[in-house]
Amino acid sequence: MARFRLKDSDEYYLHLSDQPKRFDADSPVTNVFFDDTNGQVFTVRSGGIAGVTVTSMDETKCTSFQMEDRGPIISIKLSLDQKILAIQRSQDNPNATVEFINFKDLAPTNVEYSHTCKWKNARILGFVWPRVNEIAFITDHGIELLQVLPEKKQLKNLKSSSFSGAWFSWCAQSSIVLLAGNNGALLQPFSLSNSTITKLQKLELDSSRPVVERDVFILRLCEATWCAVFRHGNCAATAAPGPTERYKWGAGLGLVGSLATVSRDNFVLEASSSQTSQVFDILEESKVENNTVIHIPIVAGNIMKPAVIGEQMCPMYSGTWVVFQPDYIIDARLGCLWRVHLSLTGLAHSVPKEEIPKLVAALLRRTNGKETIYRILNQLVSNAGSYLVELSKAFDEINSIYRRWADMEVARNTAGQAEGARSPHCFRVVLSQPEMCGHVLQAHADHGHIVQVVTAYIASLSRHDMVVQHPVGELCVRTLVTHNASGRLRALVRRGGLGDSRPLACQLLSLGHLDKAAAQLALDMMWRLKAYEEILEVLLSWDEPVGAAGAARQAGAGTWTALPPRKLLAAAQQHARRHSRPAAFVAVYHALVARNERTRGSPHFLKGEQCDSYIEYYKQLTMEQ
Amino acid sequence: MIDVKSRISSFFIFNSNFGPKEGEELKRILFFHPSQPGPDARKMQVGLCEAVVKFMSTFSSEPCEALQTQTKRYIFYQPEKGYWMVLVVRIPYTTKALSAIGESKGEVIEPSVMHDLLVSSYKMFRMFRGPFKDISCSEIYDTCEQFFTPYISSRNLTNDISDIIQGINYLPLDKNSFFKVMCFIDLLEINYPDFKCVSFVFNDQLIWNSLSKDDMLTLYQYLVQTLLPKEVEKEIQGGAVTAAQRLGRFISPPEGIQIKEDLERLAKLHLMREDDSETREYYLIVYRTLSATVCFTVDVNTNLQLEAFKSLDAFIGPQLSNIASAINEQCTIHALQTAQLATSEHKFMYFNRLNLAFKTSPPINKLHPSMAIKPEVLSIISEIHEGRKSLGNYGEVIIKTPDEYWITGKSSNEREFYVIIQEKNANLKEIADEVKRICEAQMKGIFFYPM
Repeated sequence: MARFRLKDSDEYYLHLSDQPKRFDADSPVTNVFFDDTNGQVFTVRSGGIAGVTVTSMDETKCTSFQMEDRGPIISIKLSLDQKILAIQRSQDNPNATVEFINFKDLAPTNVEYSHTCKWKNARILGFVWPRVNEIAFITDHGIELLQVLPEKKQLKNLKSSSFSGAWFSWCAQSSIVLLAGNNGALLQPFSLSNSTITKLQKLELDSSRPVVERDVFILRLCEATWCAVFRHGNCAATAAPGPTERYKWGAGLGLVGSLATVSRDNFVLEASSSQTSQVFDILEESKVENNTVIHIPIVAGNIMKPAVIGEQMCPMYSGTWVVFQPDYIIDARLGCLWRVHLSLTGLAHSVPKEEIPKLVAALLRRTNGKETIYRILNQLVSNAGSYLVELSKAFDEINSIYRRWADMEVARNTAGQAEGARSPHCFRVVLSQPEMCGHVLQAHADHGHIVQVVTAYIASLSRHDMVVQHPVGELCVRTLVTHNASGRLRALVRRGGLGDSRPLACQLLSLGHLDKAAAQLALDMMWRLKAYEEILEVLLSWDEPVGAAGAARQAGAGTWTALPPRKLLAAAQQHARRHSRPAAFVAVYHALVARNERTRGSPHFLKGEQCDSYIEYYKQLTMEQ
Repeated sequence: MIDVKSRISSFFIFNSNFGPKEGEELKRILFFHPSQPGPDARKMQVGLCEAVVKFMSTFSSEPCEALQTQTKRYIFYQPEKGYWMVLVVRIPYTTKALSAIGESKGEVIEPSVMHDLLVSSYKMFRMFRGPFKDISCSEIYDTCEQFFTPYISSRNLTNDISDIIQGINYLPLDKNSFFKVMCFIDLLEINYPDFKCVSFVFNDQLIWNSLSKDDMLTLYQYLVQTLLPKEVEKEIQGGAVTAAQRLGRFISPPEGIQIKEDLERLAKLHLMREDDSETREYYLIVYRTLSATVCFTVDVNTNLQLEAFKSLDAFIGPQLSNIASAINEQCTIHALQTAQLATSEHKFMYFNRLNLAFKTSPPINKLHPSMAIKPEVLSIISEIHEGRKSLGNYGEVIIKTPDEYWITGKSSNEREFYVIIQEKNANLKEIADEVKRICEAQMKGIFFYPM
């Protein structure tokens, strides 16, 4: 089977950050915590006495400090503005308490205070920082949202909501907490945005198959929040975005073992213990079977690019890996923090020929997919001899998005802002006609199959009912003419394949000296566009004064009455002399006299019109007759 | 206009250089139709023509075009230097006594139509056999005999407007269907670089062509007048079309391409493709599925492989039948739409000299022969068409015949448009308005210089 290989593309489409952030590995005296909201790793040595190091991909969020050891830490997180450190310690404490230390310039101040949960006997499952100066305690009794007032060293209750949960999952991007109740058969999401708690619609699972904490993720994909639930038995993942929609997507690829997800935009990457990763596109339109949308990976599963730590190869897909949303991987044993990167060019490293259009479709749904699409298209065009079918399908993918985008624009412009409030997430990449020209088609102007490629592109535009815009029309004319395909050009114009436009008409007209038929079509087109004044000029330049006079009359009363008679008469006189056809001059003269009569009530020309010599000529002609 | 069998008196080709000496006159006659007259009668006829042509050359540098006697009309055509093609037609004539009492002269045969017949027969000959000068003296007699005898007797000119102007009937097609055809051709040419698609015909209407203008008309006429009627007949009888062939088949060579020997039966044509600068020899391959017919050319120097044809067959068959059904659907829709348009009882004719597009009002219902256009009217149109100098690049003429026919001829921007209106008590203004209306209704989007 023929495979397509994008030149200079990465061999692996997934790779870890080049240099991992190193931190002290987990050990009996060192505890490692990860805060996925800020992307910070906390390494606490000897309960903090020997120092706490904060490591992050973001250099401005790294620091180290010392603090007192007041018991084993369960959770430690800095606030979003890095000004308050919150610490939850061992649950042995009868009162569920969280301690706070105010920070300044990433260093602790001596201002410390604590807050106890309002429910007696409640157990704090954890806490999150949904906003600056807002903290939510998530307990087995419910959620308590508090405002932190660091200057006053106290917290103010903003809102609380009761729910009996056993564990929770947090999504920082969407500020949604998912609490699991009923032994993991009931999932209750809460939104913590806008300083309040909003209970969202619950998600009830089959009570015979409850889920455990590590199989539930809240994902932020395509501006929607999804709850992903992994079902190991049949390797299917269920996701429910928002309150009503419910999808299942499955990959019947026999993946066994633990799955981890990393998500970006619309892509879900799944890594499994079988040491391969797969990329799914949840926006892909796929078939639905038994209420289940079956998504198959965009490209075949591949391993991640082997990473190195210093000089040494790093074990990939290690059992000590912990994956956090959206794209963090931590190996606490080695003391490494990575982010997972998706190389878009890597996706096209080796694709079966037939799947190129599908890949292009997937890239169209990626925010930064444009460059890769250009590269793929350029390579396809260079090899148009073998990839014309795929190219044509890829154009269809591009243009169907383009069409939808254009429809949406029209709707927004006509219906005002109310309609247009819909999120534009469907249109991450729109390749407009000028862009296609500039980045793909123009570069191959001398390619042997460019005529076929341009035809395929215009055909695709036509299938999507798009008007061919000027840059494409112009490129098309230039390409067809320079490649000896003017017959095709004329056929396209005759069949309406290029649409009517003034620039196109002018271009055809300029070809008239090589190809009479092009000029004929140009005039037809101007006629359809009602460009009477241009027709008038063309006919005058073609030495057709009578036709020009007719065209001027067609142009409407305005043009005809305002037309300087000298121009027409001069052309008519020249024509009459050159072809010895005085009748042409007489006809034009009569038409103008009749015009004068109608507009001014007198047949005579005005002084300012300087027609004396022509009046003379007319007299001379009529005398002869 | 010409009933070939009864009206063509003779048709012959001669070259005076072939037998310059006395007693070798018969050698000069390359072809003579009909075959009945003996050598002496032939010599007489050809001799007369030779003499006239020679005699006329003293008066004009232009070759002689026609000669009319009381009973016959001779049309001369010199396609290549020294080679003369002559068509002789009997004309009905009346004696003085008859004409005195107002008896009509009968049908007049338009010289232009006869001339067209000569020109198209020569072009067809040149396409299939090459120019006269390239054929050796020993072969030329047989070659002419083999070609012209069946050609002349197969010409079946009916009394219709379509014979006055030789044009091409283009299929009106929406752009997406047209793109389908184009993309199909592109894909095919990319996959089979030796094969070039030169024309795509649906029923008898042209969709795509990549030949030069002249050859396009000749090939189109060959397809529509000779090759396709035979195939359609076969298809109706059903005998030749087996289930296996339903997807598509090669129809030229006529037996299809099954074995290696069939490749030797491929017709060789002298053609000029649109991107060629001169006429070259090509094999002609014609493939047909449903109503769609595709013609390919292959350079004669190509080493033909049976496998290539088999794979081509497998490639084209399914795709072409899809396209053909899609086009058929479009045509049905189009036909329904035009049927809803109020059909004008007036006849019109349109011709574009640049792409040879020819369009007429819907053909006359066979049940009403009275609707047929009178020969006089046809001959007037023929005169306007031929004498385009009178109209120039741009002009309009309205002619009224004594029997209340109004004939309007328009010429503009390399196009011609004719309308025939039969109306009693009409005046010039009414006719002009009616013509304008018909022109606007039928020729939407086409620019005629306004008056």
